[in-house]
Amino acid sequence: MKFIAQYFDLIVFFVLLALGYSVGRWNELRHFHSLRTRERLYARVLTFSAKTPPDVVTAQDCMLVAGGVVVSSDYFKQFAGTLRSFVGGRMAVYETLLDRARREAILRMKEQAMRRGYRLIVNVKIESTNIGGVRGGVPAMEVFAYGTALKPHTPAS
Amino acid sequence: MIERIVAVDDRRPSYANRQPDESVNYSTEHPLSEFAWLAGGVLASVALCFALVVGFAGVLASRIPFDVERDVARQIEGFWCPRSISAEGRKAQETLSAIADRLAKAMPEAGGITVSVYLDERPIVNAAATLGGNIVVFRGLLEKLESEDAVAMVLAHEIAHAAFRHPASHLGRGVSMYLLMAALSSATGSTVGAQMFQMAGQLPVLKYGRDQESEADAAAVAALVSVYGHAGGAMDVFRVFSSAASRTEGVEFLQTHPLTSHRTDEVGKIARKNGWAIDGGRRPLPDSIRSLR
Repeated sequence: MKFIAQYFDLIVFFVLLALGYSVGRWNELRHFHSLRTRERLYARVLTFSAKTPPDVVTAQDCMLVAGGVVVSSDYFKQFAGTLRSFVGGRMAVYETLLDRARREAILRMKEQAMRRGYRLIVNVKIESTNIGGVRGGVPAMEVFAYGTALKPHTPAS
Repeated sequence: MIERIVAVDDRRPSYANRQPDESVNYSTEHPLSEFAWLAGGVLASVALCFALVVGFAGVLASRIPFDVERDVARQIEGFWCPRSISAEGRKAQETLSAIADRLAKAMPEAGGITVSVYLDERPIVNAAATLGGNIVVFRGLLEKLESEDAVAMVLAHEIAHAAFRHPASHLGRGVSMYLLMAALSSATGSTVGAQMFQMAGQLPVLKYGRDQESEADAAAVAALVSVYGHAGGAMDVFRVFSSAASRTEGVEFLQTHPLTSHRTDEVGKIARKNGWAIDGGRRPLPDSIRSLR
C-alpha cells in the first residue's frame, strides 16, 4: 500500500498510458475493419472532386450532402505526439487517426446521399477544424466532408 | 436519362470508387516501437540537460563564502529554528553542541565552518543540516538512540553535510531545477509534457542527493572513528532507520537517500579498507539526553 501511495502519480500516469494505448489501439483496429466493410457497401455512390459530373448533360436534381466526424486523440497518442514534436518528423500516431476521420466523414456523406436515392456526388471537399489541443486540452479535430449529390431530374407526373 | 447515369455506375469501370490504399498513408512501424525510441531519446536528453545545468548550479552555490550563507540562513531562521524549548531540552541541546564541537574538530573538512545545533522537540525520527551550518536534531530520533556513539554519528553526518556545503548546493540545485521545469513545461505547453519533464528531471537531482548522503556518511564515519575508536555508532543509527522504516524501501533511483542496507554496506566497506573496527564498547547516553525519554 505504501508503495502505491508513494508513487501514486507515476502509477496513474502509466495506467493512463497503458489504457490509452490498449483501448485506443483496439478501437482503431475495429474502426478500420468497419471502414473497409462500409466502403465496399457504399462503393455504388460515386464521388468526384471535379465540379461537373462526367458525361452528364441533362438536367439534374441536386442536393447538398455532408458528413461530419469529431475525433479525439487518446492519452497514448497525445504523449507520443508530444515526444515527436521535440524532434520533428512523421507523426504516425495522428496519421491513422485523421485518415480514419476523413474516411468516416466521406462514408457518412455517402450514406446521406444513398438514403435520398443519389448515386453521384460531385465537388467533394474536406474541411478540418481544430477544436481542442489548447493548453491542457486533449487534441480533437472535426473533419467535415461535403459535396453536391446529383440525380437525373424526374419531372413531377 | 436515368439509363445514362446507371450506365456510368454499372458498365463503365473507369468510374468505380476504389478502396483506399492503406499501404501509402499509414506507417508500417509499430506504434510501440516508435514510442520506445522517442521516449528513450527525449527523456535521456532532458535528463542529461538537467544533470548538467542543475549540477553546475549546485557547484556554483557551494562556492558561496560560508559567511554569506550564514547571513542568509539568519534571515530565514523561522523556517527551521524551533520556537521554544523546555528546560530539559535546553540541557540536552547543550550536550549535543559539545559533542558536535568535538566531532567538528576531528573532521578536517569542517575547518572553515561553524556549527550550531538545535533540538526540535517534535517526535519526528530525523535530523537535518540547513544553511549556515545549522543542524536540527528531532527529539523523536534522540529517543530511539541507545548510546552516545549513535548520537555522535547522527551529528557527524549532519556536520559533514554542512562542511561539504550540501545545503547551499541543494538550494542552488532546487532553484535552477525549478526554473528549468517552469521553462520547459511552458515550452511544451501541455500537462503531459510537464509531467514527463518532472519525471525525467527529478532523477539526476535525486542522484546528486544520494551521492551527497554517501559523501557525508564517509566523512562522518572517519570522524566517529577518530573520536570513539570504532564505527559501531554508525551501524546503530542505520539499524534505527531500518526499523523505523519497517517497510519495503522501494526503488533506490526514485529516492533522495540511498537504501539503508546500501549505506550499511558502504560504511562497512570504508571501515574495512581503512582497518577501522566496526564494533566496540559504546559510551552510555549522557544523562541530559537520557532524561528526554
